[in-house]
Amino acid sequence: VSTVLVALDASTGARAVLETAVRVGELTGAHVEAVHVHADPRECDDTLEALAARIGVPLKLLEPPVEPALIAAMGEPDVIVAVIGTGGAPGYGRPVGHTATSILESVDKPVVVVPPEAVSPGTMVRLLVPLEGTEASSRPVRERLVPLLVADADVVALHVFTDTTLPAMLDRPHRDLDMLGSEFLARHLPRANRIELRTGPVATWVTEVSEEYGSDLIVLSWSQSLSPGRSHVVREVLGDSHLPVLLLPIVPTDINEADAVSPPVDGDLA
Amino acid sequence: VATALDRTFEAIVLDWDSTAVPDRQAGASGVRARVEALCGAGVHVFVVSDADVATVDGRLQARPHGRGRLHLCCSRGSEGFAVTADGPRCVFRRTASPTEESALIRATERTVGRLRARGAEVKAVSERLNCRAIELAPGPARLTSTKVEDVDPLTEAGLAGVVALAADASRDAGLVDPRITCDMKQVTIGLTDKSDSARWAANWLVGRGITGGLILIVGNGFGPVGGLAGVDSLVPVDALTRAVVVSVGDEEGGEAEGVVQAGGGSRRFLELLDGQRARRAARRVPDIDLDPAWVVRLPSTRANERIAGALGTLANGFIGLRDSGGEEGHGLGSLFLVSGVYARDNQLLSGPLWTGLEQPGIHRRHSRETLLDLRTGMLERSGNGPAKARFVRFVSMASPHAMALRAEAPEPHLDPGDPLRPPLEDVDFERDMHGRMSGAKTKKLGAEIAMAAEDHVETRGGLRTIERLATWSADPTGTADLDDAYRRLAEAEALGFDGMLAEHREAWAQRWAGAEVVIEGDPEGELAARFAVFHLLAAAADSGEAAVGARGLTGNGYAGHVFWDADVFVLPVLAAIRPAAARAMLEYRIRRLPEARAAAHRQGRRGARFPWESAGDGSDVTPRLVRGGDGELVPIATGPHEEHIVADVAWAADHYASWTGDAAFLIGPGRALVVDTARYWASRIRIDARGNGHIEGTMGPDEYHQIVDDDAYTNVMARWNLRRASDLLVQAGETDEAETWRGIAEGLVDGWDPDRAVYEQFAGYFGLEPLLMSDVAHPPVAADVLLGSERVAGSQLIKQADVLMLHHLVPDEVVDGSLESCLAFYEPRTAHGSSLSPAIHASLLARAGQPERALDLFRMATRLDLDDLTGTTAGGLHLATMGGVWQALAFGFLGLAAEGSTLAIRPNLPKAWSALGLTFHFAGQLISVRAEDDQVTINAVAPILVRVADQAPVWCDSTTSIALEPSFAAPSHK
Repeated sequence: VSTVLVALDASTGARAVLETAVRVGELTGAHVEAVHVHADPRECDDTLEALAARIGVPLKLLEPPVEPALIAAMGEPDVIVAVIGTGGAPGYGRPVGHTATSILESVDKPVVVVPPEAVSPGTMVRLLVPLEGTEASSRPVRERLVPLLVADADVVALHVFTDTTLPAMLDRPHRDLDMLGSEFLARHLPRANRIELRTGPVATWVTEVSEEYGSDLIVLSWSQSLSPGRSHVVREVLGDSHLPVLLLPIVPTDINEADAVSPPVDGDLA
Repeated sequence: VATALDRTFEAIVLDWDSTAVPDRQAGASGVRARVEALCGAGVHVFVVSDADVATVDGRLQARPHGRGRLHLCCSRGSEGFAVTADGPRCVFRRTASPTEESALIRATERTVGRLRARGAEVKAVSERLNCRAIELAPGPARLTSTKVEDVDPLTEAGLAGVVALAADASRDAGLVDPRITCDMKQVTIGLTDKSDSARWAANWLVGRGITGGLILIVGNGFGPVGGLAGVDSLVPVDALTRAVVVSVGDEEGGEAEGVVQAGGGSRRFLELLDGQRARRAARRVPDIDLDPAWVVRLPSTRANERIAGALGTLANGFIGLRDSGGEEGHGLGSLFLVSGVYARDNQLLSGPLWTGLEQPGIHRRHSRETLLDLRTGMLERSGNGPAKARFVRFVSMASPHAMALRAEAPEPHLDPGDPLRPPLEDVDFERDMHGRMSGAKTKKLGAEIAMAAEDHVETRGGLRTIERLATWSADPTGTADLDDAYRRLAEAEALGFDGMLAEHREAWAQRWAGAEVVIEGDPEGELAARFAVFHLLAAAADSGEAAVGARGLTGNGYAGHVFWDADVFVLPVLAAIRPAAARAMLEYRIRRLPEARAAAHRQGRRGARFPWESAGDGSDVTPRLVRGGDGELVPIATGPHEEHIVADVAWAADHYASWTGDAAFLIGPGRALVVDTARYWASRIRIDARGNGHIEGTMGPDEYHQIVDDDAYTNVMARWNLRRASDLLVQAGETDEAETWRGIAEGLVDGWDPDRAVYEQFAGYFGLEPLLMSDVAHPPVAADVLLGSERVAGSQLIKQADVLMLHHLVPDEVVDGSLESCLAFYEPRTAHGSSLSPAIHASLLARAGQPERALDLFRMATRLDLDDLTGTTAGGLHLATMGGVWQALAFGFLGLAAEGSTLAIRPNLPKAWSALGLTFHFAGQLISVRAEDDQVTINAVAPILVRVADQAPVWCDSTTSIALEPSFAAPSHK
């Protein structure tokens, strides 16, 4: 049995988090379970229990401390995706709270982060997958997310050209971009239904394209570090987006030498 | 030994004396049987001997039948005989001149004299063809001794001393290149030796596409004897580098470097021949010669599989085949295209795929290697998984409808599966059977491709081999006959895989003989340039009509549509290295003149208006609208406005005629390509009140600026077109229209700004935002993507050579000295955001005396597809860039130009290149030009007038070297 495990706290965002988890369950065909760590004796868990019961998701109470308990629960083999809220007041430079940061940096599984102001989607079929075009970042999407998706998920890839990744030449611009986009998808995400190409600031385009296409979920692979100077696209998207964001850890051992992207031709036999 | 011999050789060069037969008494029937069998299986055998033909043939007595040729290279390198059922027939003989003959006599006398002066007795002198043998002092001791020092008391240095003595004496006697050999019995002075036999054999084999690694050399005495290299060491000459050299001798004096020591004498020798016979019988996968100057290693990662497919396309002008080879069936991006077979939707139809094989138990992650042999047009793939699988395939260059592959692997890891499979594109696919032959057809409205294939599978000793022959049939008119494909398959099977491969290799060798590229000092550049020429040679058929799309037959980018890429970038190359193919490309335009005339008529014009994009019927197939990045429909302006294609077609026709010397073309079938296009311009140009002519609402090569007035490139090309057509009309006595056109041409504005000494690209260009690329990004870059098309259109940034294309194509139409000023102005403004740009700039920079900067752009052009600089190589190779690469070498670095029937050469080599050589056709004959720092060497079959740099033209015949004057500097060219 595959499980989508959703961690609830007593904040007002719990409902959106739980409803998102249900949608993720539909997206992946997995069973949804909720957990809550009863950390504060003054806190009343009845509301959460009622919420879970109303939505039809079993809720399990865990013993504190919070982070180890949640990380252990998410590490269970049947858990394929975890769903969390952003947590308390995000500090400067951190788009998510302390507990969320700790989970995101520790759990080696896809984790969906639900922003507090998120409106829980009625369905979750439209996925926006921004890809930078490296094998390291595409492979987790291909191998760890795509196999989980139900057939009718509409996957849109987004590649944003930056100063360093601009195409060198476009003979017949629209058709060359089509060719370039097809090749990009064939290389990085054959499962995608289409690709969008843009130029400029990545996070801004992620937000704009997600709004333009009415996306339900943004998928980003990342290096699991929210330290300053790292994962700036993830940080910006988490900070700006009103949509749930699924973060896929890049596992270094995922890169197989034979499949890695390398300069095409050695030139000679030397 | 086993590793070195684990390959299939196409030729065997064997030493007769003591290798093939142990001694003069031994019978040779075993050798004869094997030589005849090998020749029957297609192997070429060269028997090398010091003895004369009567002696060798008298003992060997082989009379081979079959495709393999037997040659007896006798008389110490002075004679060669081809042996057929009728016996030996002389095919080469070195004839001594009277001067050489008398020098040889003197050399012998002096050697005898000097030997005697040292106290040696000389028993006799024997005379043979081109040599004299001096028998050394006989005696019981030297006849029985095996120790070299015992037998030669003459000098302290032993036999080497005798050789040195004879060589000195011979040179003193006037022999320029004496060939001295010496053994215990005699010293021989001659004009030739076994190395001449080896070079002759190597040269004969090169003409059949057989080189180094495909050749086995067997002898018994390569190692040193008495201080001298063994006599067989003369055989592995430089021209046979990479040949596998095997000694079956004892080599008591020590083994020679690079020689595989097999030992075992004549018996081992026979075993080697048997091994090769067995490989042939088992249909083992043939080998390629792993020559680093000719073999390109293709990307092997999954991510780059489609790029590898495009780079490794095998084509023969009629068809293109790509398949980067998957483990289960086909690789990604596999494709089979037939030139000119467009469906009703104006897209090239994909044909059935015939290269798929199954490899049970082989995983994608097992490493593998794919090699493209440019010399022979063969693709080899080998795997390193649990199964050491090998695959080779080719698309016959000799027989355009035939294709073949062979594969081998341990039995459980190789299955043929379906020989014919549907293409990856969505088309109708029908199967058929005809006896043991499989048939299949793909269909779309208006087009069909039929294919037949048959497998031969066998397993011996656990090794499975699969041989698959395939043939196709298709017609641009839209129908394909499976029976034709079956009939052709039966013909191919009658010839057999080995026969097909031999003809294919020879056909490629012939093509390369007229298209050699040598860049000394830059092996990577040389290989990349050869890669470009390889694909150009395969791009167009040399009969009928050739529709050469922008990506050729290497991918389905732009649906196979034909652009000016063909006329301006590819055709000039083929006019030089494959004139018949250039003529076929023009035939494509000639047959679409009716549609071009109708297009002009529809626009209210006269003459012929060729379309920007063309497919089967010659109508304009440029998309009018495409879906943009935001999903909105974006109009494409090139179709209605990029009219310079009209003059480009005319230019191609004229260039072909002037370069090849095919003067009849412009009087006959090609005339309308120049005249009807001029007539179009005459009706297109608006004459203003002051009598000046204008072309408004057009688009030049620089597509960053769409729909402009008086684009310099368009106007000057139109002017050239009118003038050239006017000349043709005058020649034909049609002076009225000629006069009118000349008047229109004279009045046409061309944007020349005398103050700036620069052509303004179009009216108003100088008033645009004066951006330079240094303000924006480092080229090459798609500046329109970086800055947005509106910003770029409002600036002076340009996509590619535009005004400068005039200096490239029609230097006589531009102001003298304007190349340098226009380069200085436009190069800093050029984004090189088109694949057409870098090579042309490289050519012009070289001509303008800036070869180092030219080299940078040349390298960019050569690596464009090899490194997938555009991200679109998976959609097919950029043939125009490849054409530009050759043009940069020829017209830029070598500075070639046709001045009537005189070939002008004005080299400008970068420092890294010690020499640049090209072979091509000019004015109807084959010519090679090699430029070095201080001289130019021309090799021509017949006399040709050549002008080097600013020197007076001279007649060149055979090989002529012309010194470059030290003061020669880059010219102030137009």
